[in-house]
Amino acid sequence: MLNYTLRRLLMVVPTLLILVIFAFYLMRLAPGGPFTSERPLPPAVMANVLERYGMDEPLHVQLWTYVSNIVCCFDFGPSFSQKDRSVNDVIAQGFPVTLTYGFWSAVFVLLLGVPLGIIAALRHNGFWDYTMTGLAIFSQIFPNFVLAPLLVLLFTLSWGLLPGGGWNGGQWQYIVMPAIALGTSYMASVARLTRGSMLEVLGSPYIRTARAKGLPERTIILRHALKPALLPTLTYMGPVFVYMITGSVFVDVFFSTGGIGQDFINGAYSRDYAILLGLAILYAVLTFVLTLMVDLLYAWIDPKVRAGLS
Amino acid sequence: MILSAARRRLQSRAFAEEQAPEMVASRSFWADAGQRFMRNRMAIFSVGMLGLLILFSIFGNLFSRWSFEEIDWNVLGRIKEDGGPSLENGHWFGVDELGRDLYARVVQGTRTSLLVGFIAGPVSVLLGATLGALSGYYGGRFDRTVLGAYTIWLAIPYIIFFVVWQAFFGRSMSQMIMVIILVNWTAGLLIVRGQVMMLKNREFVDAARMLGMSDTKIIFRHLAPNVLWVVVIYTSLVIPEVIMMESLVSFLGVGIQEPNTSIGALLSQGASTMTFGTLWQLGFPAAIFVIAQVSLFYIGDGLRDALDPKER
Repeated sequence: MLNYTLRRLLMVVPTLLILVIFAFYLMRLAPGGPFTSERPLPPAVMANVLERYGMDEPLHVQLWTYVSNIVCCFDFGPSFSQKDRSVNDVIAQGFPVTLTYGFWSAVFVLLLGVPLGIIAALRHNGFWDYTMTGLAIFSQIFPNFVLAPLLVLLFTLSWGLLPGGGWNGGQWQYIVMPAIALGTSYMASVARLTRGSMLEVLGSPYIRTARAKGLPERTIILRHALKPALLPTLTYMGPVFVYMITGSVFVDVFFSTGGIGQDFINGAYSRDYAILLGLAILYAVLTFVLTLMVDLLYAWIDPKVRAGLS
Repeated sequence: MILSAARRRLQSRAFAEEQAPEMVASRSFWADAGQRFMRNRMAIFSVGMLGLLILFSIFGNLFSRWSFEEIDWNVLGRIKEDGGPSLENGHWFGVDELGRDLYARVVQGTRTSLLVGFIAGPVSVLLGATLGALSGYYGGRFDRTVLGAYTIWLAIPYIIFFVVWQAFFGRSMSQMIMVIILVNWTAGLLIVRGQVMMLKNREFVDAARMLGMSDTKIIFRHLAPNVLWVVVIYTSLVIPEVIMMESLVSFLGVGIQEPNTSIGALLSQGASTMTFGTLWQLGFPAAIFVIAQVSLFYIGDGLRDALDPKER
């Protein structure tokens, strides 16, 4: 198990390196840059600016400086578009915001999606089952960028219950709508997945055995059926959790939360390579680490997988 | 003696005539699936709705008194009062925040979104499926390289590609389609790879190899027809996803160039002005978007029911 974990962690390093090199060249070779504007800077000023950011050197030297700065001092360099701020500052300010509402969104997804899926499976073809199917279709049709305006329309403009955007230090009123907008489609997927695997498990022979033994229905479901039924949901939640805590770019922009999604889009507009690269690395690291954690959790729950690892 | 009698019976005309009706009646997998699809009322209704939407996007302009980039100076500045949907001034869907006719813009946006979906979706699935088939068939180092690229690709936020691509090639619709294909080359890769890995050990593949067929021929002539059903189902899922992706990037402002528009760009403009009470600017694009997504959802659902072999 430890062996496996170490091997997986070691794999992350070359993967990240390839990613950085690829993204770096991709962005640098594109025409235009953070300092090109409608009115071109005088050549002398331009040369000064480029020198200040170390952009006058050949690309591979810049890449080397960039990577070695990250490795030695955890320094992602200065931002090109936001003067006097480093990428570290930008992430340190934006990421907690995104993490907060992403976390609550994941809670919303699990607390609503899993029970809904279980109930739908237990009441197969009943009212709750159809409600859930309806919800699944609804979430497919209303992705977050349609859902969010609708939420604002209802809760802010019509009923005046919740603020339509902003963050304000993360008071709960400001978290509700971003979390719902971000989570609804995942919640429906989780419910559908849970329902499917629960139905499959409930039809399996060992559940019939448990029933034949005369165990109470409650014990059968909670003790015997639930654990295996949640495995597919768990696999699905790994990547979804990454999406959530890195936040949807859209949710950040629409609700002006000040999260990293907003920095990302601003970086894209102003061709701020430093911010884009820094956020891409953050995103990739989170993806790899969380996938690994889900795999380990999987092994912990499922003895068959555990045997396969060692 | 018995054997030759049996042979005589097989070759007799009477036997042939006896068997003929059944042989004619037996249908191929695809004919079967087609019939199952036709029996699915919701799917057929959705095909009809989608057809209407396509007709709307092609011929909708014939009923418009305004072009999609023309500004109606009569209503500009009084959009909340005079800019709503009206039959008198020919703005069937009202005007947008710059006083341009929303009906013409919705027609144009629908066309963009559908074109992007129906070109970029299938092409990217074909690309992903081909790579997946090659990767599953050859295995080994090639397979590992493709999977490695797949992992890295998914870890990069795709908006970067839109930004970089636009810096190189601009923001026209054809460039939009190209970059969406590029971003989505991973679509269908894993599922086709899995199918091919399963199929390549079957007897018919061995038989083809014994006959001295080349790998390319085995993959495209013998394996491809067997994974086609997966590809069809997957394409039906990817098309709405691609439309959504285009809408999202347009919403975020890295989409198609003004004055051209797409459903996503229209939704974005509508959402940004809804606080002023001009709700039609959000409502009409949203309605078109919902119609497109609902019908694509039910068509995909119908295809899955018709093609999934578990149902057979």
